[in-house]
Amino acid sequence: MSINVAGPASKKIIDLYEHRTARARELHSRGRKVIGYLCCYVPLELFTAAGVVPYRIMGSLDQTISEADSYLETIVCPFIRSCFDIALKGEYDFLDGIVMPHSCDTVQRIYDIWKYHKQPAFSHFLNLPHMEDESSKRFYLKELERLKKALEDFTGHPISEADLKSAVSLHNENRALLRELYSLRRAEPALISGTDVTRLLVVGNTLPVVEYTELIRELIQELRNSGHQTRTGTRLLVYGSEIDDIALIKLIEDCGAQVVMDDMCTGTRVFWNDVVPKDGLLESLVDRYLCDIVCPRTYRRRTGSREEDLDRRFGYLKSFIEEFNVKGVILYIIRFCDTHEFDAPDVMDYLKKLGIPFLHIEDDYSVTTIGQLKTRVQAFLEVIKD
Amino acid sequence: MADAFFAGIDIGSTMTKVVITNGDSLTSIIGPTGAEHRRMASKVMQEALDKAGIPFSGLAYVVATGYGRINVPFADKQITEISCHARGVSSLIPETRTIIDIGGQDSKAMRVEQGKVIDFVMNDKCAAGTGRFLEVIAETLGIKLEDMGKISLKAKEKVAISSICTIFAEQEVISSLAGGVPLENIIAGLHESIANRIGSMTERVKPKPAVVVTGGGAKNIGLVKALEERLGFPLLTPPEPLITGALGAAMLGREAVLKARKEGKPLVRKETKLEVVSFHS
Repeated sequence: MSINVAGPASKKIIDLYEHRTARARELHSRGRKVIGYLCCYVPLELFTAAGVVPYRIMGSLDQTISEADSYLETIVCPFIRSCFDIALKGEYDFLDGIVMPHSCDTVQRIYDIWKYHKQPAFSHFLNLPHMEDESSKRFYLKELERLKKALEDFTGHPISEADLKSAVSLHNENRALLRELYSLRRAEPALISGTDVTRLLVVGNTLPVVEYTELIRELIQELRNSGHQTRTGTRLLVYGSEIDDIALIKLIEDCGAQVVMDDMCTGTRVFWNDVVPKDGLLESLVDRYLCDIVCPRTYRRRTGSREEDLDRRFGYLKSFIEEFNVKGVILYIIRFCDTHEFDAPDVMDYLKKLGIPFLHIEDDYSVTTIGQLKTRVQAFLEVIKD
Repeated sequence: MADAFFAGIDIGSTMTKVVITNGDSLTSIIGPTGAEHRRMASKVMQEALDKAGIPFSGLAYVVATGYGRINVPFADKQITEISCHARGVSSLIPETRTIIDIGGQDSKAMRVEQGKVIDFVMNDKCAAGTGRFLEVIAETLGIKLEDMGKISLKAKEKVAISSICTIFAEQEVISSLAGGVPLENIIAGLHESIANRIGSMTERVKPKPAVVVTGGGAKNIGLVKALEERLGFPLLTPPEPLITGALGAAMLGREAVLKARKEGKPLVRKETKLEVVSFHS
């Protein structure tokens, strides 16, 4: 058992984790609109302002992909195949709609396929630019206006400036609390294990923002009160895209490490930066969602020497490593994620430059293949300790 | 400490290897790995003890490695085969800077400096590029695995095996056979195909000489030759390429005991009996 405190918040998190769709189903059955989305580039503030419950679509590591293979090639990202597979099995039938951004080509294509097979009442494709130049920002602003309008038409209620302002502050509050929770991981040993943090992040994907915020607040209180310590171990940072299950982090921690920080699109990329409100609130969403998130799906112009370029693109990793006293990095890449694979050599060059050991693993996204990674993780820990 | 004995046991997917050493002498035994790891592990260990002429209680420390390392109830410690190969090979060939281990079900490449791993890559997801691939093909061709290397040296040319998948490569082999291609040319082509696969994997760790090959694959002269051509480095092979993991395990065990003693916290053996434990309890 990795949760050391069996307080009410921790118990609630375990329960919500085991029944991920339960709360959203309940809200849906009470007449609330629940909209599923993929990726961390969808501005959830617009959902909250529209009174819609956002639900981040996840896959299932435990379930063998059995239905999706009839429609998707096996060379498609196994995470997306899994998401679509459980949708075909009816698991996401409580969703009133979907919003998918052009985060990568696979997500773009799954939008059409999903729409065709599941015919949700509401569906919207968010045309997300792949660069962060001025022209891209103007384009994305128009796209956010289009998303806002689509949500208004769907719910029948206009989103006022006050609605949006309040949503921005609710989501900023949520992000600030997550950062506060993360600050508890700076201690040695960390006050909360990586496994427990991952469980919370998964649960957070399934709740309305106010409920999520309350849960984090309770958890932080619980951790502070109990003053417990988790087991010690080599301090690691995990880099990659989607982690929607505790299996990998648990395996790493069971090998004698502690995961104390991440650079994941289900982790820090979701909350490390706030929306900084300015006159046009939509413009502040553009800044936050197009420019501030660092994910290889957005191409950043190469500038200066190779060294300067790496510093500019990955300098934030250095701060993470220093602030969280990280001793090694695991790059966890889901197979066929070209987006992350093509950026990985640059990330590794940068880590090499910092002199921090790293392990690059490519995985098929299933519990059994994650189990096979054990020898690699153990050997990596032996290399660090040596 | 010179008279204390240390054992390393390396349980691979097809072979179990035991090395017993006291720092001077070295005893090794290689036996097959059965479906019941632990039962076989104790059997191979007993044979090694008999050969060394000491009782199990005479061992100061036992380290298990290899993919079956978790299922060894009488081991004091588990260390991955990556660290063990590095230690074992470096003790035999001190100038080693790269190790390629071609095992029955996985293959791996390690960059080593002074006996310590600085980088490694591993293929354990796919049979192509492992000993398993050759086993399957040997069976298809109706020849012995250990004869493949020698036969391939007679090849006048190599058949191109395009498939990177064991099952499909097998089909290609069958169709080449049907087309009347000489056996040696087919086997030479297979070796080249595996060498390409292992070669690309090895290049990921930026190999530097001396490059040493271990594992069952190192016993295949044709494969080693093909890999030399692919990498452009001469390859060295230890006298017994199967036991380097077990040797490294025994040595790492010895070092752990010496270090602990120096720090005034001597390690105590966990088990005193060489138990036979059934895998299916």
